[in-house]
Amino acid sequence: MSNNAISLNPQTSVINALSLVGIAGTVLSLALVFMNMIDERHASFNTTSDGIVWGLPVATYVFFVLTSTGLTFVASFGMVFGIKEFLPLAKRCIWLAFATLVAGFTALAFELGHPFRMLWALPTSFQIVSPMNWMGVLYLAYVVFLLLKFQKIHAGDWDSSASKKLGIASFIAVTLAHATLGSVFGMMAMRPFWFDGLMPVYFLLTALLSGIAFAVLMTYIAYGGRREAMPEPLQNLLKGTTPTLYASMPVVFSTVLGVTLVALAARTVTGVWSHQDGFQAFDWMVSSPWFAIEAIGMVVAFFLMVSPRTRSEVGVQLLSSALVLLGLFIGRYEFVIGGQVVPVFKGNWVLDFIEYTPSLTEWMLLVLPLSLCLAIYAVGEKKLQLGAMPER
Amino acid sequence: MAKWGMVIDLDKCTGCQACTVACGMENNRLPGENWQDVLFYHEGEFPSGTLKWFPRPCMHCENPSCAEVCPTRATYKTEDGFVLIDWNKCIGCKYCMIACPYGVRFYTDEKAQIQPDIKQVFKSDGKRSWNPPWRAPDNRDDWQHGVGIQPIGVVSKCTFCYHRVSKAPKGTADLDPKNPALREFTPACVLTCAPSARYFGDLSNPHSEVSKLIASKRGVRLRDHTGNKPQVYYLTGGAAGTIPTDRRGKKA
Repeated sequence: MSNNAISLNPQTSVINALSLVGIAGTVLSLALVFMNMIDERHASFNTTSDGIVWGLPVATYVFFVLTSTGLTFVASFGMVFGIKEFLPLAKRCIWLAFATLVAGFTALAFELGHPFRMLWALPTSFQIVSPMNWMGVLYLAYVVFLLLKFQKIHAGDWDSSASKKLGIASFIAVTLAHATLGSVFGMMAMRPFWFDGLMPVYFLLTALLSGIAFAVLMTYIAYGGRREAMPEPLQNLLKGTTPTLYASMPVVFSTVLGVTLVALAARTVTGVWSHQDGFQAFDWMVSSPWFAIEAIGMVVAFFLMVSPRTRSEVGVQLLSSALVLLGLFIGRYEFVIGGQVVPVFKGNWVLDFIEYTPSLTEWMLLVLPLSLCLAIYAVGEKKLQLGAMPER
Repeated sequence: MAKWGMVIDLDKCTGCQACTVACGMENNRLPGENWQDVLFYHEGEFPSGTLKWFPRPCMHCENPSCAEVCPTRATYKTEDGFVLIDWNKCIGCKYCMIACPYGVRFYTDEKAQIQPDIKQVFKSDGKRSWNPPWRAPDNRDDWQHGVGIQPIGVVSKCTFCYHRVSKAPKGTADLDPKNPALREFTPACVLTCAPSARYFGDLSNPHSEVSKLIASKRGVRLRDHTGNKPQVYYLTGGAAGTIPTDRRGKKA
């Protein structure tokens, strides 16, 4: 590490606890997944050909890779767009982006029938009209750029031309990758709940919110919930005492959350109002208690984060980021399942929605990526000085 | 090059499901997982409700959305109109099942729909996902065209009996089951249809029976608004078998 960088150690006891939870969760969930899948394979899922085809593991995948995208955006505030107030978060965000990306693709790998075949079949076939193919290519580019960028800043190189270019390349790759993930769903004309040309934009917006909430939550956890233990620039960023108010976390958080709430409300109201066949899925969505938890949680978080009286408080920020992440996860589940609850071709004889409850194996494919993410993060926090920033 | 297609006359279809059974025998379908299915439903309410049915194979679309979304080109459209799956390339992502507007695709590894689980009775030989003693000989397996008993982790679907139809003499306009010379090339569901409600032939040949029926009896395609343009056409005068109207909305 070069001399022009400073590093401050977060709470070692918290990180140790996180790594224990991460490793124990990984081992336990992996054991359960293997026990169930080794004999039954995907019959241990509650997905069916005439019902829900993409279940909870796909929602988990979408949640984690979206969060990874958002974390890269947060890192890019400082490193690509020159908003220096965000630099104290950059290195941690890049590592977290890597951890969440690994988590997301772990869920996907267990969901695929032949994950290893994908490695050769995707590049050799290269179906240019398939959004899923492009998603694979762009995510590969993203992870390469992300790791190279991390390597640069880990060596203390924040400002060289090569380092900047890698930052820009990661930003562009993840923007395109994520927009393509939006298209995987948004291009499906036969599924009106998803079909929307602006779905990539919606995905990018919710990804940003997800990244912001995750960055805030993990930063507080790293320092044991004690802001006074953080380096001063990081404290200022979270407190909102930066020289320019708009370049502070409370303002950015509440703004992005507000815009996301408008987008969510617009989509929901249009869906519930319209008589378009397939939009019955919106009725399914809003009638679930989970939707109430999602909506109330995010609205409460918005009001807490927008009020100058509360938005700088540690407890409020922790609660808001947790509520937002919970809401977004429920949102991903509603989104992935909602596109399938109205059967595409069942005619009049199926009046009701398809029922689906994830199986134990599918739940374990949420625990596994989450634990893996925590373990990878803890390793980074212990060994890679994630609090480092350029000394300027 | 032929462009194979099917016409199903719903006014002749009796809903006997012989097509489903014949397909199951021909292609070793799992119980309850029918490549060719007949869907039963009712329209209207008591006392004027009526029982309806609808036979449904894969539509082998002109613009198959399943092939367009497949990231590995495992699902593909042949020059002569078949939509097939190469089981050597399928990664089991199930995107095709999401993209199919007709729900005619099946993933191998799922809970058995009917007990006992016949896959457990005739367990996998390591190659096929299950291994019944009545299956076709090994040399008829053709995984590149999705013919045979599928391996684990892939998606399967109706092949229009590719293993039969692809061997038909060049220039054949219609695979008429009444013509003994052509019976071995005719799809199993067409061959077995007792009321002769199914016709199979070359849609690109204006003199074929299928082309004439579509023209003279106003053949319609299912969910044509999706732009998939099925190569399965239905003739209907509104008798028993009918094309289902859109689902009654819950908000109606």
